[in-house]
Amino acid sequence: MNENVKVGGILDQLANVALVLGLLLTTASFILTFTIVPVPQSNLNVVPADQPPAEIGGLYVTNALMFSQKIFYFHMPVAVISLGILFFTALFGIMFLIKRDHRWDLNAKVATEVSLVFILMTMATGEFWTAYEWNAWWVWEPRLTTYLILTLLVIGYFILRNAVDDPERRAVFASVFGILAFIDAVVSLLITRIIPSSRHPVITREGGLEPLMVMALVVCIFGMIFLAYGIYRTRIREQRLRIRLDTIKERLED
Amino acid sequence: MDPILQEIYSTVLGGAPFVIGAYALLWVVLLVYILYISLSLKKTEKQMAALEEALREKK
Repeated sequence: MNENVKVGGILDQLANVALVLGLLLTTASFILTFTIVPVPQSNLNVVPADQPPAEIGGLYVTNALMFSQKIFYFHMPVAVISLGILFFTALFGIMFLIKRDHRWDLNAKVATEVSLVFILMTMATGEFWTAYEWNAWWVWEPRLTTYLILTLLVIGYFILRNAVDDPERRAVFASVFGILAFIDAVVSLLITRIIPSSRHPVITREGGLEPLMVMALVVCIFGMIFLAYGIYRTRIREQRLRIRLDTIKERLED
Repeated sequence: MDPILQEIYSTVLGGAPFVIGAYALLWVVLLVYILYISLSLKKTEKQMAALEEALREKK
């Protein structure tokens, strides 16, 4: 890449719009979640013995899957998006391996960085839910374990990048590593289907969601998609400008 | 405290600190990162502008 790398196109201009839209939609989802979205009616067959149900507002509710379920409306979108962005990491990695153009490597690096932010948000929200519902900050359960491996792989991706000096080798290693991380992302996504005994809740297994719950969830998913896109484009713009700046500085020094 | 209210609060809001903690941490991570990339972009743009200015003066 050189100082002619494209910066400030229509996609960059859309980044700010996406960020604002994302913030608006996620705030709307937050308000919906705590105002009109009902608490789930618990399935009395799965109520633990130490959490007897109570009748509140005509609903039988328990600590399990009740107020703490509100975490779900943000936890699930950020988790899905963290995995979705890794698809782009793998895609850009494959594109680099085919074309050997470092723009693809930069795209993959930034996508992985944004994915890491969403992974951290997923871990944070998930940990609080686990701490309350399962009474433990960590459980070696298939979904959590595969997601932890994914987190370590994504952190490892950046350690690997920093450890290799040669740009060509660094890009090749990082591309392959990004593809491997995406494979683990797919495993993590499907693990609750592969191992049905997993304790991690699965919407389809537990009777689905009411329309208002779906609405809050969809609004949040779209908000997070816009945020992820806005963050990605802003970061790409900054990185490209930095490369252009460094190239010009090097030429001036020569 | 009224025993019924106490029961309601203990049942309904038992998870409140965890819900608040989860949401707070989520927004902190997101906003800190957005702030970080915005500041980085501003800094880089400023350096670019300074460099362009210096080049113009040199010509």
